[in-house]
Amino acid sequence: MIEVISESRCTACGKCAQVCPMNVYDLDAQSKPVIARKADCQTCYLCEAYCHADALYVASEAFESPALSESELEAAGLLGAYRSQIGWGKGDSPIRKLQEYKELAAAGGAPF
Amino acid sequence: MSSKTESGLQLDADVLVVGGGPAAAWAAIAAQERGAKVVVADKGYLGTSGAYAASTSGHKVLPPVAVLRDPIKFERYALGGFLAQHRWWDRLLDITYERAPRVWEWGGYDIPVYDRKGSYRGLQGSEVMRILRSVLLKKGVRILDQSPALELLADSQGAIAGARGLDRQKNLPWTVHAGATVLASGGVAWLSKALGCNTNTGDLHLAAVEAGAELSGMEFSAHYSPAPKHSCTTKSAFYRYASYLGADFKPLEGLSRDGHRSTSAIARELLKGPVFCRLDKGTEKPETRRMLRILQPNFFAAFDRAHIDPFEQPFEITLLLEGTVRGTGGIRIADDECATTIPGLYAAGDAATRELNCGGFTGGAGPNMTWAIGSANIAGRAAADFARSLGPSAHLRDAKALGGAGLESRRPQESPWDAQAVVQAVQEEVFPYDKNIFRTEATLLASLAKLEELWRIVQGTPDQSTPQKAVRAREAAALVATARWSYFAGLERKETRGMHKRLDHPHLDPNQRHYLAVGGLDRLWTRPVAVPEPVLSDPNKLSLEAA
Repeated sequence: MIEVISESRCTACGKCAQVCPMNVYDLDAQSKPVIARKADCQTCYLCEAYCHADALYVASEAFESPALSESELEAAGLLGAYRSQIGWGKGDSPIRKLQEYKELAAAGGAPF
Repeated sequence: MSSKTESGLQLDADVLVVGGGPAAAWAAIAAQERGAKVVVADKGYLGTSGAYAASTSGHKVLPPVAVLRDPIKFERYALGGFLAQHRWWDRLLDITYERAPRVWEWGGYDIPVYDRKGSYRGLQGSEVMRILRSVLLKKGVRILDQSPALELLADSQGAIAGARGLDRQKNLPWTVHAGATVLASGGVAWLSKALGCNTNTGDLHLAAVEAGAELSGMEFSAHYSPAPKHSCTTKSAFYRYASYLGADFKPLEGLSRDGHRSTSAIARELLKGPVFCRLDKGTEKPETRRMLRILQPNFFAAFDRAHIDPFEQPFEITLLLEGTVRGTGGIRIADDECATTIPGLYAAGDAATRELNCGGFTGGAGPNMTWAIGSANIAGRAAADFARSLGPSAHLRDAKALGGAGLESRRPQESPWDAQAVVQAVQEEVFPYDKNIFRTEATLLASLAKLEELWRIVQGTPDQSTPQKAVRAREAAALVATARWSYFAGLERKETRGMHKRLDHPHLDPNQRHYLAVGGLDRLWTRPVAVPEPVLSDPNKLSLEAA
């Protein structure tokens, strides 16, 4: 479930509240998101994918909350990881992922 | 009560599409291209809503060549209990072949070369939905995000005239008066959190039945997928590389065959104790591991974030209910145009029964998306034509709102019922493997008795103190209703066919090769509907046998 909103990274653009399919966020008076209905989070990682500031972290634990710290997540490269993995990060593109996939297949990587 | 006197957002459209996944997007595009003014209303955000945006799925894009298409049509025909129709498969494959590549074109991609299986590789569901949303906006389609539809409207003849709902962020009621309405609102997975499935609570199944429509195939609603136990990532394709291990990490046999897992065998083991997996069959090369990561980043997110290397370390699994999202039941399609039995009401994607191409077996990894694209294009176009046939003043019809349970109270003197408790009580009937996967007359009757009591409760006063609570109350009523239809149909189908397993009727009964229409609110009913096609033989198998 959504666990962390990085205070220092968040630009208060409101995108996470706009795109969350489960309506987990509310925006406060400064347009900053707050996790208002955490139990409704369906752990789909899509708010992370849409966050241009890489300010959100959705833990893979779907039914309970692990202890986490922002600095550990940052050190582990987990802030913005999903956006990058689907090709939406800075300097990434889905086309580059497709290209890499083809090259790996040509190198005999295909398991099937 | 005429909804036209209500406050809130009032819109007119030729076609209203309810939903926010690929079927909703495609239905809206098809209707708009047919000349209709289209409004889309979705509970979440068109782009992230529904199973596809979160989980990604392939679809079948094959030229009209029998040697390419026959294997797809026959692959799961017997598994689905011979309920799929090849005539529908042909139509769906034709449409997908023509329409699906347009997503690449719209997104500015080179159209890829088809692989031998005909399934596209590479575009994530989130990327496809981003492209479809931008196409809808460019075409001038109005999208109401965060705006769950709560009930349908009918004119004096009972034809559907639009819907009412609530913008849950602005706390603003909305009404769309439309000539035709397409329900593309997804299946129902009972809030199991199976990946991307929690927007899919069957709200529009309930609304459709309130309007007099029928469902079909609801007995085929017991689809479960494995997920790492800590997570809800029900991505199952890569379990073909899995070794299954028991509590002592000793190999468990019989949980998969030829790379296909057996859900019931896994469930039987899980009823005894923990089950672990390790993806160590044929995944030794680093290139292979990297390819799998590119294909399914969402699958690996569950592991990376929990610091598990699934290729090297055993991880504990569970089975999460995906219901009709990867099962096949839904709103019954009554003709070739994806119309329901009610004039002006159409259904597409997971909201509709997928028996027509999937039978009683899952259509995961291709057939489901082929149905979504095919049925949505058919329904969107037909809805536009229907709306046009009504003439230019269709949106001025007097319209009555039809919603009941979870919206209105039959016992207004009572204090509100607890939606969370109702949801949990439904889940206690539909989640347990020994109730839903392994069915008997006794288990079904016991669950139906509890669900009957819940249905009585949700006729009471819904808690509408916040928009979120109002929506959850309607969802809770829909979860009760869809569970009742699923188990009532399961009680009536006294055989084992497709994913419907009856321990007390363990064999397929050729005399029950029919669809089961199901409906009713307080009193449930079923009715057999003939499959209008004989059982067909796989021509390739025949030629092998002849040889």
